[in-house]
This record gives sequence, structure tokens and C-alpha cells, in this order.
Amino acid sequence: MSNTQTQLDIDREKGNFRYDVDYEFDAGTGLNEKTIDYICDVKGEPDWIRQFRKDALKKFLEKPMPTHWASHDLENIIFDKIRYYLSQGGQKPKKTWDEVPEDVKRTFERLGIPEQERKFLAGVEAQFDSEAAYSNIKEAVGKQGVIFMGSTDALKERPEIFRKWFGKVIPTGDNKFSALNSAAFSGGSFIYVPPGVKVSHPLQAYFRINAENFGQFERTLIIADEGAEVTYMEGCTAPKFDTATLHSAVVELVALKGAKIQYITVQNWSNNVFNLVTKRGLAMEDAEVKWIDCNIGSRLTMKYPGVVMKGRRARGEVISIALAGDGQHQDTGAKMVHAADETTSNIVSKSISVGTGRATYRGLVNIPRHLKGCKNNTECDALLINTSSRTDTYPAITVRGTGNACQHEASVSQVSSEQIFYMQQRGLTEAQAMSLSVNGFVNDLVRQFPMEYSVELKRLIDLEMEGSVG
Amino acid sequence: MEGALVEGQWPEWFVASRQRGWADFEKLPAPAPKDEKWRFSKVKALALDSFRYPAAVADAAALVGRSTGLGESAARFVFGNNRLLAATAPAAELVKAGLVVMTLEEAASKHADLVEKHFMAHEAKLGSAKYAALHRSGPVNGVFIRVPENLEVVLPIEIFHWVEGENSAVFPHTLVVCQRQSKATVVDCFRSSDDAPAFACGVNDLVVEEGAKLNYVAVQQWSLATTAFHLNSTTVGRDAACLGMQVNLGGKFIRGESYSRMVAEGARSDMLSVNIASGEQMIDQRTFQDHAKPSATSDLLYQNALTGKGRTVFSGVIRVEPGAHKTDAYQKVRNIVLSDEAEANSMPGLEIEADDVRCTHGATTSQVDDRELFYLLARGIRPEAAQQLLVMGFFNTVLDRLPDARLRGPIESLVEARLKAALPA
Amino acid sequence: MKHLKIDNLHVSIGDREILRGLSLDLPTGQVHAIMGPNGSGKSTLAKVIAGHPDYTVTSGDILFDGESILVMEPDARARQGIFLAFQYPSEIPGVTIANFLRAALQARLPEGEELEATEYYAKLYEKMDLLEMPRNFTSRAVNEGFSGGEKKRCEILQMAMLQPTFALLDETDSGLDIDALKIVSHGVNSLRGPETGMLVITHYQRLLNYIVPDFVHVMINGRIVESGTKELALKLEAEGYDWATEPEAEAVGA
Repeated sequence: MSNTQTQLDIDREKGNFRYDVDYEFDAGTGLNEKTIDYICDVKGEPDWIRQFRKDALKKFLEKPMPTHWASHDLENIIFDKIRYYLSQGGQKPKKTWDEVPEDVKRTFERLGIPEQERKFLAGVEAQFDSEAAYSNIKEAVGKQGVIFMGSTDALKERPEIFRKWFGKVIPTGDNKFSALNSAAFSGGSFIYVPPGVKVSHPLQAYFRINAENFGQFERTLIIADEGAEVTYMEGCTAPKFDTATLHSAVVELVALKGAKIQYITVQNWSNNVFNLVTKRGLAMEDAEVKWIDCNIGSRLTMKYPGVVMKGRRARGEVISIALAGDGQHQDTGAKMVHAADETTSNIVSKSISVGTGRATYRGLVNIPRHLKGCKNNTECDALLINTSSRTDTYPAITVRGTGNACQHEASVSQVSSEQIFYMQQRGLTEAQAMSLSVNGFVNDLVRQFPMEYSVELKRLIDLEMEGSVG
Repeated sequence: MEGALVEGQWPEWFVASRQRGWADFEKLPAPAPKDEKWRFSKVKALALDSFRYPAAVADAAALVGRSTGLGESAARFVFGNNRLLAATAPAAELVKAGLVVMTLEEAASKHADLVEKHFMAHEAKLGSAKYAALHRSGPVNGVFIRVPENLEVVLPIEIFHWVEGENSAVFPHTLVVCQRQSKATVVDCFRSSDDAPAFACGVNDLVVEEGAKLNYVAVQQWSLATTAFHLNSTTVGRDAACLGMQVNLGGKFIRGESYSRMVAEGARSDMLSVNIASGEQMIDQRTFQDHAKPSATSDLLYQNALTGKGRTVFSGVIRVEPGAHKTDAYQKVRNIVLSDEAEANSMPGLEIEADDVRCTHGATTSQVDDRELFYLLARGIRPEAAQQLLVMGFFNTVLDRLPDARLRGPIESLVEARLKAALPA
Repeated sequence: MKHLKIDNLHVSIGDREILRGLSLDLPTGQVHAIMGPNGSGKSTLAKVIAGHPDYTVTSGDILFDGESILVMEPDARARQGIFLAFQYPSEIPGVTIANFLRAALQARLPEGEELEATEYYAKLYEKMDLLEMPRNFTSRAVNEGFSGGEKKRCEILQMAMLQPTFALLDETDSGLDIDALKIVSHGVNSLRGPETGMLVITHYQRLLNYIVPDFVHVMINGRIVESGTKELALKLEAEGYDWATEPEAEAVGA
């Protein structure tokens, strides 16, 4: 397929619309102490958070851009032109869709969120720019003692749990963008699942950027207490703007003894979004943290979900699909830190590069000294669709001591022209054949997504492939 | 370390290049711990202040006598502390056929065109540009080999470099040009005459022209107190093949950089390495498989056995440039960790900008296989001996790739002897 | 005459008990066959005697000429004279058969004594001829890329070289066509003698046409339920294992 040229604009129109909204609160452009004071005042935050934000701002300004290893495209982010806080009336999310202001509600209706909620979700939070417009949890789930609320509310209403873990899995200074998030965060979810409670349906958050030149900095903290289980899904979209938009989230997961957390992301940002996200989970004894991550949109995504396996027999897993369309760079990967005996981790990453798209895998696996019986298995497969497509793989694996085992394998391939011809001979168009092949390539991973998401994923892949053959 | 006082007769161009080398060395920054090209390395190990340019070795004849390895050879050169100690020229009919094997010093004048064209023609891109500049500035010596068109040199050309005395610094260089359709085998042996700390800064430039075939093996047996750089540049032309093998048995801190460029269709580069890191040894290797042209092949296999507090770093990149279709590139690093304090770091990398390619890489780190071990125990072999046998078997899968049995036997014996010392049975 | 005696042996892997009170006396000079359906514990018995670390002996004993070998490491048991021909021999990449066998023989010599190379190769070639193996076999890595038949022949070659007191042949016939079976059996038969005891483990009677046993034991559920002469094997071939399982079923029913 090396001679087919891709068309530039990939149809991913689902999120590409925008209704005008009047913003009641706007911190203006640029980030400095005044911006932080404005955010703290509007949100009515306690002093310790104000201090936390200001310390983070210092770290953000000190830290250089990580361009010694990362894409130089980062230099195109003009931090002074970005708006750091925008909210349309009130910082308190509504509990019914009827209370949500009309112009915001119709956005989420068009994205199908209320419908999905009725069908299969245990709770939903819908964030519009800086604040959640809607947050609700099904009564039955709430009665089990499960807390699901915005982090803005949680730090005020549940400080005893929130403060214990906030910023503990990902320290402020972990990287430049975690520092940025720590300075400017607003929105995101807080979830606490009490011991032994298994939440049977997923909780969902939907992140919507509506404003141009905007930076969304949600902050999510999920704690599954001993033996608890929870699945969390996030979706995200933004309309297509001419200028860059920034999304920089921090997500911290804590799985206490025997708990299981599954975190599913379907990222479908428009092509103007810099998506620079820090995600990490802590897994205690016999606990499991699993990241299922699908990155389709954005201009540049940098995201390496991690698991620190701190307790014996803890398990970490990252399942990742990245589709880098024309002009996009999906720089994704995984980080596995083995900090206790008999911990196991698994990474499966599949990427597809279309047109001039570039998919990069970066991995870190660390099994430090004096541990026994740790295992990691990593598989990275890249599929290149066009001659101008690019893929990179940069794993770093450190194993100290005997009694541990690590295995990393990566391959690069293209869709076989024989396979395409075979399907064409059976009457499929080239694009259909290509879609089938690509779907086949990721099929084993797509099946790990909940049904509703996997259908959506297939549709998105079909749309991407339509544009890839000419 | 300071600017070199160099003995011998060197042409003007070489003296100028040496001066540029020193200027570059002083100008280029020392590697920093955060430098990606030095990730997981030990930049602290690079304090070079105490090293000096050494006087001649005490007993040249003794070192020449100890320079045994492969038995029969087509030519044999022995250097000690940067000076030529002995040379056995190739047989007359080979010389008549156009084979040139002479010291770099002699060649710099007599074959100035070829030497000037190929001597360090490519920038050291894998992190050690500063030390490449240091090499250029130093009292470089070594061998220049030109294998003329259509000549096949059956026996290996053997070169020994010795270092002697505390804090001595040596600068071995091997420059090989295999012209069209020629064939040769070159073996570099790096040895210390004592256990003293020393510094070696070695470079080899291998040029394999159209249809030619070169086998190059470097057997590094510096003292366990030595700091050494071994920087390689390999250029492989149309339908040509180069097989390069680095065998690292000695050294305290070894930094190896191997850069293979496939500059025409049908080029093939085999990059192989066998490494034993025991005690406090650190072996840090960076590789690059540069596919600039279509339909070329590169195949890398690096294998490390670690024991004691031994550490290894492997960082490799397969780079496929846009348009380099039908590239077939493979890269694999395998580590066997045999002790609790040993540490293996693996960074196999791919950068692919053409879609019709076959590129795979892999990295494995483990201990000896339990089932294999049990099988050996069940035959009455003691655990220590069984482990030794399994690790040697592990290395044999690399050594098996050597095309010449005459090479393989002696190299296998050296590896085995070192393994027995590192892993006593 | 020496004895390998299994005394009321109970063996588990994890929580699962596989051998449940198995007893057997194998003297040198005899060939005993153990037959039984899949999962009856035949292979476990062979591996436990060889000292495989996955299995735990919970009670009972294994005695080599009256001395318990349970505390012995697998390599010490092998040097004592126990040989296991594996059902699934491991591949040992990079280790040639010649080097491997030399290491195994060297391990049996007193410390400081070196194996005599000429004698070693003479013996190796003699045994290879017996098993109709080509000479270049010695330079191949142990079992690597071998066909099923080659693996089994290689096991018997090792047995011939190491001359064990007790040989345990675990499903040595599996995966062999009739020609290979004849060659392997011929090799085994040539090693029979007053100094060697053999335990032949097999699912099918077929092998016993070629390696004729002195005694046959039927193993079901981790125990020997019936012992007899070679005619017992023919009965099993004709009637299957059902009749042998019945007493067990009755016992449970009663």
C-alpha cells in the first residue's frame, strides 16, 4: 500500500461542533500567582490548596521542556496565550440534566452522554471546560457507600480521604505538565469505593473542551479500598479550532490490598489539542491496576500510564491502542515499576500510523534489586499504512538481580497487499479491505473495551481508514 | 590528560587533524547523567585526569611472545603503548596482488588519499563525540588495511594492542577498506600486560565496498581496572556484507559504540556481541543500524551474562529512512542475570519512516532456564558446572554466527576461560 | 544386586495429591513396566525419583539400596546411578551433545581427574553406531530442532554413555514411528543386564513387544492396583483400563 496517498483531513466529526456559551468566570490568559488566586477565590478553596497550587507553579516554571527526549512540537505551546479557567455559571455540578443550562446540555445530548447513562452506566460526570456541569451517581451505587463527585467538591467535602492520597501517587514535580496541572487543576473526578464493594457498572466521566485557546486541567483521584472493584471510563472531545488547545490532566489511582481498578480512556480530541497527561496507579498487595487506553485524536499526545506495584503479588497492566492520523503524533507508552516480590506486569501496545502520522511507544520497566519472582511482558506492534507514516519504539528495561524475567518484543509491519487483493477479489473496496485489516490488527485489544466503546472504536477506525486510501 | 606529544613521522594533514581533535575535545561538553545518550551509564567513571601518554613498554619481546591467538594469520601486527613492537607482513603474492597491511603512520603518507578519505570520516553520533575527538588528538596508532578488488584473503589479519603501566593511555585504530568484490577477516585483540588501571580510546573504521565481504572481530581483554572506549563506524556498499563482533571480557568501564550504515541496496550488516560483566564491571553499548537505502539487511544480536555487581547497558536503534523500503532489520539483546547485585539495562529502539519493511526487535532478561538446568542436573552435572555450561551455550548461539571455524575455536576458548573465572564451578 | 525401593510414597504438586501411597521394588537385572491411563501419575513417579523440584513428597520414601535419596539433589541422584529418559527432553541451545555428555561424564569422575578424550569419543561413536546416529550429531545442540525420534534416540544415547544403575524410561515410545521404535528398543535392550534395573513407563502395550518386561504394574490414581507378568500388559491392551478401575469404584461405593 506504499503508493497510496492519504488525504489530509480525517473525518472525526462527532465532536466537531460548537455552541456559543457565555462564560461567567474567566481567569484570562496566562498563568501566574494572580490566576491562581482567582481560581482559588472563585472555587472557595482552603488555604492549603492555594499554597499547593503556588508551589506547583514554581516547579512548573523551573522545569525545562522535556525536548531532550520529547517532540519539539511542545515548543509551540504558548502558555501565555492560554486561558486557564473558564466556567459558565456556578462551580457546583447539577444532579439532574434538567438543571444543566440549556446551551451546555445540548452539547452533551449531541454527544449522547445522557443516553449512555440511562443504558449502562453507574454514574456520570460531565465536565465542560473547567467545571463539571453535571454529576450524578445511581442511587443503588451511592447506597453502597461509593463516593463519586468532582475533585473540587471532594477536597472540601471529604478532605480526610482526599488529602491522604492527593498528589501522593504523582508528586507535583514528577514532570513539567504534572506541575502545571497541580497549579491550575479544576474539575475531574474523585471516587472512593469502600472495602469489599464491587461496582458492577462503569462510572463515566466526559471531558468536553468548548472554548478556543483553552487549557483543561482536570484532576482525578480514584481510591479502591481493600477488596473493592471499580471500572472508570473517560471520553473526551473538542471542536476543531485553528489555534492550539491544551489538555493536561493528572490521574492518580490507589488500589489497596486486593482491590481492582480498571481505567478506560477513549481519547478523541480534535487535531489542535496538545494532550499531555500523567496517569499512574499504585497497587498494593494482591491488587490490580489496569489501564485500557485508546488514543485516536489530538495533535500531540504524550501519555505513559504507569503502575507502581508496591505490594506483594500486585499486578499492573497497560493495554494501549494508538491511531496516529495525518499530522498527528501519538507518543504513548507505559511505565511499570516493580517495588515488591512476585509482582507481574503486562504491556500490550498496538499503533497504527496513517498518512504522515507518527506513533511512538515509550516504555519503562524497572525491576530493582533484591526482588524475586517479578515478571514483565511487553509486546509492541506497529502498523504503517502509508509511505510517509512513521513509528518509533523506545523501551527502557532495567532488571537487577536473579529470579526475575522480562521480555520485550516489538514488530513493525504493513497491511499485506496480498491480503487487500484477496478481499478486493471478494468484492470489498480497498478502503473496506483496509478497515477490516486494521480492525483485525487491533481486534484482540478492542475486545477488552466495554461493548459500547468497542463499537464506537470500530466506527472511528473505519472513518480513519476511509481517508487513508486514495 | 593534555595535548599529545607524538612520536613518529606523520604527514601535515594528519597533524592538522590531530590539532583539530584536541580543540574539539576541549570544546565538547563532558556527558551529563541526564543526557539521553548516556542514560543508565556511569558518567562519573569518565574522570580521565590521572591518565597519561605512556613510555614504551618494558619488554617488547615478551609482549610479542604473548601475542598468540589464532595460530595462522595472513599478517600480524603487535603494538604496545601506542608503538609498533612487531610486524609480520603478508605473503609476497598477496602484496603483489595489491594487499596493503601497514601501520597507520606509514599509510598516512603512502596511502594518504584513502586514509584521509576514510579516517574518522563519520561523526561519532552515539554520545562519544568528545572521546572520538580525543582519539583523533592522541598518539594514534594501529593498522591500515586495503584489500584490493577481487582479492580474497583467506587467513585472518591479526592485530594486537597492549597497554602497560599504571594510568597509561592508548589509542588503537584500525582502518579497513575492502574494495569491490574482495574478502577479508580482521581480528583486533586488546590486552593489558598487567592488572593496572589504564585508559584505552579505540576507533575502527570499516569500509566495505560493492560486493565485498569483511569479517571483523574485536576481542577486548583489558585489565579489570581499565576504562575504555571502542567506537566503530561501518559503511557497507551495494551487495556487500560486514560481520562485526565485539567480545568484551575485560575492562572496568567499557563504552562501545557501533554504527552501521547500509549505503546501497543489498548491503548487509551483522552486528554481534558477547559480553561478560562480573565484579564491578560495566559494559555500556550503543548501536545504530542506519538504513538509508532500500533492500538492505541488518541483523544485531547482543548477549550479556552478568554476575557479581556487573552492569550492562544496551541501547540500540534501527533507523529506516523515508524511502528505504524492503528493509529487513532485526535487533535483539538477551541478558542472563546470575547474581542479585547485577543489573541489565536494555533499550532496543526502532525509528521507522518507510512502510514496506520488516523490522523487529526484542529484549529478554532472565536467569538460566529452570527446565534446562534440571535436565543437566538429571544427568549428574553439578549445579555450578551446569550453569557454566548453559551460559556457554547461550554465548555459543552468537559465536556460531562466525563464518570461520579457525576464528571460532580460539574465541570460544577465551570466552570460556573468562566465564570460568567469572562463574567459578 | 541393588534395589530401588519406593515405599508408600505420597506426592503432591501444590495442593493436589498425585501419588497416593505407591510402593514398588525394582532390583537390578530386571525390567519393570508401569502402565496406566493418562493422569494416573506415571510421569510424576519418574520425575519424583529424579528429584524434580516442582513436586513435594508428603510421606513415604525412595530408597536406593536401602538409603533414602529424598534429601539428595537431582544431580547427586543422577551420579548415584539414576537416569531419567524424559518424555519431553529440554532443548539446550548452544550446548553441543559432545560437550554436554563430556560434562556429565566429567562430573562422575573423582576431583582432579580429567576425562580421557580419545576413550570418550571412541565410546561415544560406538554408542551412536548402535543407535544408528550420524557422527555429525555430536556437534548439534542438545535436542534443539530435533525430531521426536531424534530426541528419544538422544535420550537413549545418554543412557548408554552414563550407564545408570536404574533407568526410568518415561513414555519413550511416544512420538516414534515403527522404525525409530525398533532402533530405540534395540538400544535399550543392549543395555539390559544384571547390573541395570529398568522402569519402563508407557501408556501402550506396543513398546513392550520390543522391550519385554519381567513384571508389569498397573497404575491408577497414583497407586499400583495390579501387578503381574508380561501377560498383564496383553490383558490391558485387550480390555483397556476399565476393569482395573472397578475395584476402586466399588471401594468408594461400599
